[in-house]
Amino acid sequence: MKKGTAFYISAVAAVLGAIGVALAAYSSMISTDNALVNMPLVIGAGVVGVVLVVAAMLAPASMGNHNPVTALGVLAAIALFSYVYGQCLLQRIMLIAGLFSYNAGNTVGWNIFYVVVGCTVCLVAACVLLIVSSFCNNVKAQQ
Amino acid sequence: MKQSSKKALWRGISGIACFTMCLSLILGSALEANAATIDTYLGTNSEALVSENNEENPLYDKFAPPAELLNEDGTGNSKALIEAAIDLNRREVAEGSVLLKNNGALPLDSGSNVTLLGIRSHSNLLGSSFGVKAQGAYISLEQALSQNRTDFANTIAWSVGSRGAAPSATISEWTGDEFDFEGAGFNINPTMVDIYEALGETYVHYENEPAAEVYDPGEPSVDEIAAVNGSYKDSFAEYGDAAIVVIARPSCEQVDYLPGGVAEGLGFEHGEPLSLTQNELDAIKLAKEASDKVIVLISSSASVEIGTLKNDPDVDAILWIGAPGCYGMLGVADILCGRVSPSGGLFDIFTAYNMSAPAMQNMGKMYYTNTEGTITRTGGVLGFNPGAYLIEAEDIYVGYRYYETRYYDSVAGTGNATSPVGAYGSDTEWNYDNEVTYGFGYGLSYTEFTYEFQGEPTFDITVDPETGAPNAYATFNVKVTNVGDVAGKTPVQIYGQAPYTPGGIEKSAIQLLNFEKTEILEPGASEVVPVKVDLQYIASYDENYDNGDGTTGTYIMDPGTYYFSVGNGAHDALNHIMAAQEMDAELMSGTGNAAQALAVEIDENFISKTMFSISKTGYKISNQLPYADWNYYQPGEVTYLTRTDWAGTFPETYDAMTLTNEELINNLNGYTYTLQTSDDTSEVVWGADNGISFYEMYGVPYDDPKWDQLLDQLTLEEAMYIFTFGGPSIPGADSIGTVETYMTENAGNGIAVNLNASKDPNAPWAIPASDPNGNWHPEVFANAPMGASTFNPELMYELGQFTGIESLFTGINILWGPGLNTHRHAYNGRNGEYYSEDPVLSGVAAMEFAIGALDYGLVAAPKHFAFNDQESERGGVSPYMTEQRAREVELRAYQIAFEATKYDTEDYDAGMRGLMTSFSKIGSIECTTSEGLMTEILANEWGFIGYAVTDIYDDVDLWSAVLNSGTTCFDTRGQAGFYGTTTLESSNLFQNLIEGRGLDANFIDGDLNLQLKLKDAVHKNIYAWSESHLMNRYNATTHIESQMTWWRVAYYGLAGVSGAVLLLGVVMYVMASTRKKEEV
Repeated sequence: MKKGTAFYISAVAAVLGAIGVALAAYSSMISTDNALVNMPLVIGAGVVGVVLVVAAMLAPASMGNHNPVTALGVLAAIALFSYVYGQCLLQRIMLIAGLFSYNAGNTVGWNIFYVVVGCTVCLVAACVLLIVSSFCNNVKAQQ
Repeated sequence: MKQSSKKALWRGISGIACFTMCLSLILGSALEANAATIDTYLGTNSEALVSENNEENPLYDKFAPPAELLNEDGTGNSKALIEAAIDLNRREVAEGSVLLKNNGALPLDSGSNVTLLGIRSHSNLLGSSFGVKAQGAYISLEQALSQNRTDFANTIAWSVGSRGAAPSATISEWTGDEFDFEGAGFNINPTMVDIYEALGETYVHYENEPAAEVYDPGEPSVDEIAAVNGSYKDSFAEYGDAAIVVIARPSCEQVDYLPGGVAEGLGFEHGEPLSLTQNELDAIKLAKEASDKVIVLISSSASVEIGTLKNDPDVDAILWIGAPGCYGMLGVADILCGRVSPSGGLFDIFTAYNMSAPAMQNMGKMYYTNTEGTITRTGGVLGFNPGAYLIEAEDIYVGYRYYETRYYDSVAGTGNATSPVGAYGSDTEWNYDNEVTYGFGYGLSYTEFTYEFQGEPTFDITVDPETGAPNAYATFNVKVTNVGDVAGKTPVQIYGQAPYTPGGIEKSAIQLLNFEKTEILEPGASEVVPVKVDLQYIASYDENYDNGDGTTGTYIMDPGTYYFSVGNGAHDALNHIMAAQEMDAELMSGTGNAAQALAVEIDENFISKTMFSISKTGYKISNQLPYADWNYYQPGEVTYLTRTDWAGTFPETYDAMTLTNEELINNLNGYTYTLQTSDDTSEVVWGADNGISFYEMYGVPYDDPKWDQLLDQLTLEEAMYIFTFGGPSIPGADSIGTVETYMTENAGNGIAVNLNASKDPNAPWAIPASDPNGNWHPEVFANAPMGASTFNPELMYELGQFTGIESLFTGINILWGPGLNTHRHAYNGRNGEYYSEDPVLSGVAAMEFAIGALDYGLVAAPKHFAFNDQESERGGVSPYMTEQRAREVELRAYQIAFEATKYDTEDYDAGMRGLMTSFSKIGSIECTTSEGLMTEILANEWGFIGYAVTDIYDDVDLWSAVLNSGTTCFDTRGQAGFYGTTTLESSNLFQNLIEGRGLDANFIDGDLNLQLKLKDAVHKNIYAWSESHLMNRYNATTHIESQMTWWRVAYYGLAGVSGAVLLLGVVMYVMASTRKKEEV
């Protein structure tokens, strides 16, 4: 069965998701003082999200384009990716606010900020791609 | 549509809905977790403190704004409030601006045609870029000089932060009332105004700007002026009555000026940022072409190197105007037109070369050579650099104390004072005139005054027979006579000199002891001004004194001849003493008048040597800060400056210190408290049911047993919340009937909350959102040095009172301010937030402010206690110094403010009820964890009772050591939603404690000492609240109600709609799938 557009979009989403999760983990390791409080849970959620995207990609090959695994997998992945970048941002709000006001000289903080921005961009992009893929077919019908 | 297409459609829609719902939940979480701060910035109230007002439970009956600021129905009158602020800021600057030079050019006649030069004449510097900003609409110099009314349409203050931060308007626009004012009545050269307006596109300036490590004042060249309008000089003839040049140097939080830190190619006169650039000097040349009356206005919060201007006979007048705040230019106008005779005195010494200060040999960024591998403690959540330090080798010789003492010794011929070591004005000798431009406390007037002691001082010296606490005052009655031609005020500054023995304890040759200010004296009129001096402040701290009880170090009064004098600043006062001592007048700089000095013999029978070894609280004083001194750990490595040998001990630069001492390293790594886990804590009562509510505690003395009953009601967890989350939002405690409340804000020059964003919107006088003046921002007053330079305690008090009134209108009952650190040197970027280099001037200013503020229920919490001597590496820098230096310079200002003995009565121990600690350490120990500082000195010696909060997120890893020290809470700005969104366990601030675990509600279950300290900390916090106007809002019915703010509506709505669409999408997808199966 030929791969459809959604397959390739989802593949890119999976890669972006993986990068985003890796960046989330890295942002937590730059400084112990600004580590994610619940990093194992956050990273675990991200990894599961990536796995679900992969599953959503592969399921149509055997279950057809519109199967519940793909449908639920995409929704769950969007939720999990959102949880990951949401935690990265929420736990760094005070740090980021300081960078733009009284603590602009915090070089470690800026490093974390840039990594968190990268993480967020990747994961939001992954979510958008997953949404786009939802409108498309994962496999092309046989001629 | 095909079923498969429908399924794709619903799947896609579900994805979109899922994504937006997640976004709304993230947004909602962010908003809720920071609701208190969000409210401040958006002007919303997400939580309402609700109390029922009835006869049984009356509200708002304890503190209220004065009647003249209210309408007849008791509601707030915003216009009257703003007019009062304009008037006070105007008087502050009119009294605080310092006339440094006047060859008769000033005052100018009304109707004068004047040319303003220098880009800062058009783009005024009004406040600091971060910290004490001038916020909102303002009156410009041009307006103050030439107009009489403003609609504030084009004068909204902007601010730019440091390190490339984006500029922003402090308010979006002004749509409120117009205001009348009395300007100077001058006519301003419009050609130059237009030129600077055009040049402002290239040289962008804001009303609040920062200092910079590589500084460029942004002054256009003469060629650039000509490029805008080649015939600009033609305008000089018409506007040639006077040329006024404005030169500015900004200040700010976070960044210092640095030695040699100047932008290239600008021709700084001394290669230093506080010297003048070639373009600034050219602007003054241009002024000479424009008029034969050249007036220079210096807008700064630090000593600017203006020796060239002082010595230039063509510069007729110099007026220091500080960073004058939003309406302060009216005060400047008052002086320029002669409506007010200047009466300010310099807050700091103005030196010819700031680098000549011994403190400047050790400032900036210095790190241990072996930080890596030795310092294991991290930089904390704010990412500070570990391993920064300062050796404050200048010892007690800060500011004028150095220059005047060395001057004294140079005339006396002692201590190698004339050696060129440390001289910047000459290669061959150290000479006062070469090194100093204008002395501390100096200021001219449009009239002349004589000062005459009326007899001997009156001494009031007693000792409390029970505690040994000393009471030792001398009151000097000074007859001041206006012998000039115009009416005016003048400060009456009393200085002192203690007897010095070479090789003995270090003593400054002159020090300010206290001051007052006359009323306005008409020509020929006199006033006898009594100035009461606390003799404690002429005592010296001898850290080697054997107390005979196993301790060392205390204050001593050496027997001998003490001199007191009254003078126009420290130098003048010292000259009078030197004249009385019949020193060689030929060698003196200036002249002395022996009649303005008094000699008093003090011996054991009069004041015992150790009278001041007991504090006013009756507490025995001994060394508490041994770890402040580098030599305590690694002896002999630092040489402190001594007047025994100025040349041999002038500070070297200690920029490569190596840590070898184990205790020193251990302290720096934060291991100063060991958490106990198995103490018997059964004696500490938590969770009792005594039936007392917080609202009943108004006016209950701190030591009343009722407090113990109230505190016993708290659960241990509630107490931990109160200690852990100290502001701006404070957690509630059900057991005592308190609710989560936003209580605290910045800053020293007003309250940083918009008028229509009050945290107490139920107050009868609260300004509603519909009020046209509602977006007025109360942070409008001048930077702190202006208040200090007034040398007017009554005005300082009035500034505090007005801030207290502002706090009633904005619902803030604890102010994180004013700044109270010492101007160790001119390069501290934050000097604008701190008063002065002199502890008495600073301490009195802060005390008056705080006691005035408390009249209206505002607890002022001065910052940063203590030793925040620079902004560079402010996060945890270690300033090393002797304990004598710590006590006589840095801490004395706080001591004066906290003791507030001026306002003590038999029934009431007055004092400040708050403070904020410093990011910095004292020596090797964090100020927040120093028991010596926070308990022994602050609480036991000075009797401080109140809210002692850390700086933002500071030392959160040292939670237990901070609690142990006597600090009463953490500043955890941004945290809200306590017991729900924010808990001890969930706040990421407290997850990396030095104990290797995160904070939780059982953290101190097994530590008796910390539980007792916790009870004490909470007691002090709640007591401070009970002294504030928070009590206006509390009664038996007080509870909290969540409010549906617009941002809550927005994210609830988005989440709701998204959730519904998601649900619909899923259902439709399932239905489509089901139909397909049926079709099959």
